[in-house]
This record gives sequence, structure tokens and C-alpha cells, in this order.
Amino acid sequence: MSEDKKPFGGYAMPAILLVDDVAANLRVLYESLNGRNYKLLIANGGKQALEVVHKSHPDLVLLDIMMPDMDGFEVCRRLKQDPETAHIVVIFLSALDDTTDKLRGFQLGAVDYVTKPFHPEEVAARVETHCKLLSLERELARRNRQLELVRDRILNSMTEGVVGLDRNGRASFVNPAAERILGADARQILARELPDWEPEMLREAIGRILAEPGEIDHNEISLSNLALPMPDGGTRQAELRIAPICENERPRGAVLVLRDLSERHRVEARLNRTNNELNKSHRELRQAQMQLIQAAKLESVGRLAAGVAHEVKNPLAIVQLGLDYLEAALATDPVASEVRRDMLTAVSRADTVVRGLLDFSRERALELRSHAINDIVNESLKLVRHELTQRNIAVDAALAEDLPKRQFDADKLQQVFLNLFMNAMHAMQHDGRLRVTTNLTQIDGDELGPHARQCGFLGGDTVIRVVIEDSGPGIKPEDLDRLFDPYFTTKRQGEGTGLGLSVTRNIVTLHQGSIDLENRNRGGARAVLLFRKDEKQRDEA
Amino acid sequence: MKKILLVDDEAALTRIIRLNLEQTGRFEVREENRGVNAVRVAREFMPDLIFLDVMMPDKGGDEIAAELDEDPELRNIKYVFLTAIVTKSETGAGAAEISGKTFLAKPVKRDELMAVIDALIGDGIGD
Repeated sequence: MSEDKKPFGGYAMPAILLVDDVAANLRVLYESLNGRNYKLLIANGGKQALEVVHKSHPDLVLLDIMMPDMDGFEVCRRLKQDPETAHIVVIFLSALDDTTDKLRGFQLGAVDYVTKPFHPEEVAARVETHCKLLSLERELARRNRQLELVRDRILNSMTEGVVGLDRNGRASFVNPAAERILGADARQILARELPDWEPEMLREAIGRILAEPGEIDHNEISLSNLALPMPDGGTRQAELRIAPICENERPRGAVLVLRDLSERHRVEARLNRTNNELNKSHRELRQAQMQLIQAAKLESVGRLAAGVAHEVKNPLAIVQLGLDYLEAALATDPVASEVRRDMLTAVSRADTVVRGLLDFSRERALELRSHAINDIVNESLKLVRHELTQRNIAVDAALAEDLPKRQFDADKLQQVFLNLFMNAMHAMQHDGRLRVTTNLTQIDGDELGPHARQCGFLGGDTVIRVVIEDSGPGIKPEDLDRLFDPYFTTKRQGEGTGLGLSVTRNIVTLHQGSIDLENRNRGGARAVLLFRKDEKQRDEA
Repeated sequence: MKKILLVDDEAALTRIIRLNLEQTGRFEVREENRGVNAVRVAREFMPDLIFLDVMMPDKGGDEIAAELDEDPELRNIKYVFLTAIVTKSETGAGAAEISGKTFLAKPVKRDELMAVIDALIGDGIGD
């Protein structure tokens, strides 16, 4: 770099070697150039000139031709032959005023020729001109090197492969991405001739681009799906553009730009994945928000329910006991008895609704004891078995035997299973299959439903899983999000209060469990309940 | 005859329970609609069994029960909570024991009343 700052070799000023076997000439030259900001070196013969050149690396040599030990032509020839010294600017000085001599000098690589006797001013002017040229040339070279560095940096950092081709289709430069995409190193690629380019489609395209103008259109050619042969015998999918480099409307070469499609596909896949994950967390966030709103709603509904229940139950008790009291009095009147029975049914129905409300809002404490969940499932199944048989619904229970016992409120959980069985039964109406599965499993992250995620279950957790599946019509997609909302029901008015599933979820959540409902791929609905293996597990996590 | 005291702020309810119990001809029944009077009336009437409403505006059934339990003269009187808050799914059909106390969920049926009376103070025919 420091060399770059100083335009003349190691010096800030140009170094000029004066060569003449006549001391008087040397003096005149010296005096012509002295004090003009040059470093001046002197040699009194050809051999000494070469020695000084190798020692001091002058920028310019003023070279006498006629010298006894070695003439100027020979000195110049040797300088130009040696790559180390070939760049040195040579100006011949000679009494010879012959065109052939001058020509010989120029042929040997000299830039100028000054005939003796010379005017010191002319010598100085010529030297100055050549030094200026030299300085400009070197500045140009320096800029050029910088540009090349920038170009290389750009080409090296590109993910697209870039190959420069000369007019014969031979590669003149290659960037690292091109090496990777073409599956060959720069040396191999630079050795390629036009016929070496594979596949044929590519070879033909390069040929077309490099063809003489007039014959074909010289616009860029794009090959969108090129199968590049790889050294291992396979292929790589790539996209390719070839653009001609023209000079005076004639192609001087071409640039190939290669894009690795397999890489792009990978990036696209990664982007898609990231996008999906973002969408998912957005959905989860929204869900969590809904759950919060839901929880707030539940709170107020709970308080309301307790109040309503109290206010309704007393009147219901009065009516109930009143009807009980009237039983004897009405016994002799069959119509009155019937009316009384209808009234009792009405009380019972009203009570069911209020009870649902109260169940929903009731105190949220559990009576926990160590239970095997299979026992609770079996007890619950027993309660609905009769109705299932009547409806010709087959029960298929696959209950794993190795399930650990855990703290459960058996009554509450039975309420959960009963509710789910009843829902399944109502969905199937008649004929069908109710499948209940329990197992201890390390759950996969993909299998976690929204509620499971919200409850903090993670992929890899060991859980007790209960799955209840039916062969009914499944859940309508538009209902899926609302199933657990209090008062949401798909049943006809009077058949359900719409509180079953929200109560169910409350109970499951109180057990630090989760419940998700989904449709089975092959029809019917599925409820998936997850419970942590042991209460302690959560605290340790 | 067994004596039964009904404590509930809802006069229509105590009245209809009384009518039902009296209809059997087996019980002497007294109604009290103010919670604050319950303990005093119990002391006068000395019932075999008290039906206690849990939620009353002036004094709750739980408070009355606590006073009964602490009173040496009254502590042997059996009582049953009648409540709207405990639901039938918790009590099941009939009465339920929660923490050693007997609960009946409203709306209660006559049969359920009879069953809990029989369970706590015998068939009542002996008196």
C-alpha cells in the first residue's frame, strides 16, 4: 500500500539513471535534470548501467547507444527481456541520427529518442513528459487493481455463479459460486473450450450468443431449468442467463450468470417454514387472547350463575314440594294427575338448566386421590353402556395396562368422560363405533392441539393420553373454534345447555390437563385429553 | 312424634315443606324464616332435626350450625343443610355428606326429604 502511495518505486520522486561513457555528457545531462525533483543515478557504461538498474530500480533510463563495453541497444534488450526490469522506461540518447537506428530503438521497447547534441531543455522536457506518463500509467494500474479487488469481492460474495467467456467461448474468469454450481474448480472451468460446455442446450446457447451479428438476435438468453451434469454423475438444477458483451455491435464475449435452483428451493422451503411458524405463533397468540377474554367472561358468568341458581332454586323447590303435596289430593282425578306429572317434568327440566349453570360456576376445588385413569374410564363407560347397546353403538376400548396412577378427582373426571361419551353418542345417533384409547406416550410436538399448547405441553413430554373417537359426522369446521364456549351448543333447543364442554374443559384444566377436539381424517370426531404423568413433573420442568 | 324445625328465609318454602311433613302425620313441624331467631327457637322447641337454609340474608345456616355444635344443650340436635348452591350432580340423588355435614340440594323432592329424615332420626313411628 505504501508503495502505491508513492508513484515511483520506493521513492516519492522518479529515479532516473543517466548512462554515458563520456563523463562530459553525463555532466551535461546531470545538470539539465538536477534540481527538478528527480533522484538521479549515473552509470558510465552498459555493464555498470545494468548493475545500477538491479540495485536501485530506476523508473527511467536515459541510455547512450555507442558505448565500448556494451552498447545501449544491448542494455535495452536485456532490460526488456527481464520481467523485473521490463517496465523501465528507456529513452535513447545518441549522436546517431539515422532512421533505422531510431526504429531499432523503438523496436527494442524504447519510448523516445533524443539526438546529440541535445538541448538540456529538450531533454528535461521529454523526461518530464515521460515521467508524467509513467505516473499516470501507474496510477491507472493502481486504480485498476482496486477495481479488480472490488470486482472480485463482489463476484466472490455473489450467490449467483458468474463466468466470463471470450469470443471463442473460453472462460476468462470464474467466481467461487460458479465453481460450486458447476461442480468444478476454476482451473478446470478456465480450461474449457466451447465444445466442453454441457449440456448441449447450454453449449448451443453460448454458440448462439457468440455468433456473428445479423444472423441472430443478440439479446440475452435465459434457460430457466437447466440440468447441469455433476462430476458424481448426477445433475444439478440451475437457472442460467447468458448476455453478450458487444463492442461495435460485434460480440466480444459473453457473461454466464448461474443460479442454483436447489439452493433457491431450500431457501424457499426455509422461508416457508419460518412463515408458517410465524403464522402459527400469531394464531396461538390470538388463541391465548381469546382464552383470556373467555376466562374473563367465565368469571362474570360464574358469579351470575351462582346468583341465578340461588334465585331460581328456591321457587323450583316450592313448586316441586307443592306438587308432591298435591299428589294425594289429585290422585282421584286422572287428568289433574297428568297435569301434575307434566309440571314435575317441567321443574326437572328447569332444574337441569340451572344445575348446568351451577356446575359451570361452582367452586373450583378438586378432591384429589390417587386413581388409575382406566378405572375412571371403565366406570364412565358402564354408565352409558346400556344406552350405547340400545343405539347399536359398538365400544372399542384399548386401555394400556402400564399407566401410572395419578392424583385425580374421580367424580369430576367421570363427569368429563360421561359428557364426551354422551356427545359422541348424540353425534352418531344410531349405529357406529365409540373408540376409547389410553396410553402413556412421549408426545410429538405436531400432535399437540391448541389447548395442549396453551396449557404448556411441549413436544417430548411424557403424558397420559386419553383419546375418544366416534364414527359420527364430525364437527363442522365453523364450529371447531366455539365448541368450548359456554352456552354454545349444536344440539336442538332443550337438548343441551351448551355448558357441557366448557365445564369439561374446566375440569380437565383443573387437573393440569388439556382437551382438544378435532375431526378425524377418516370421518368422525376425536377428543384428545392429555394429563401430566405426575403432578410433580410440572414443578420440575 | 319427632319434631322438625325448618329454617329458611323463604316462607313459602318452609310452609310447603311443613305441609308435606304434616301430611304424613308423623311429625310436629315448626317454621322459622329468620336466621337470627333459629338458635333461640331451637332451644324452645328442642327439635329432633333441623333443616337449615345455607344462604339467608340475616344469618347463614353455617353460622347457625356452628352455634348449635358449640351449645351443650343443642349439640345433639341433628341438622341438614338445604342449599341451592350444592348441585345434584354433587349430592347425587338424595343427601350428601360433605366434610361430615349432610346436604340436600334444592329443589328437593318429598321422597328425598323423607329418606334423609329416616336416615338421621329413625322412622319416627316410635314416638
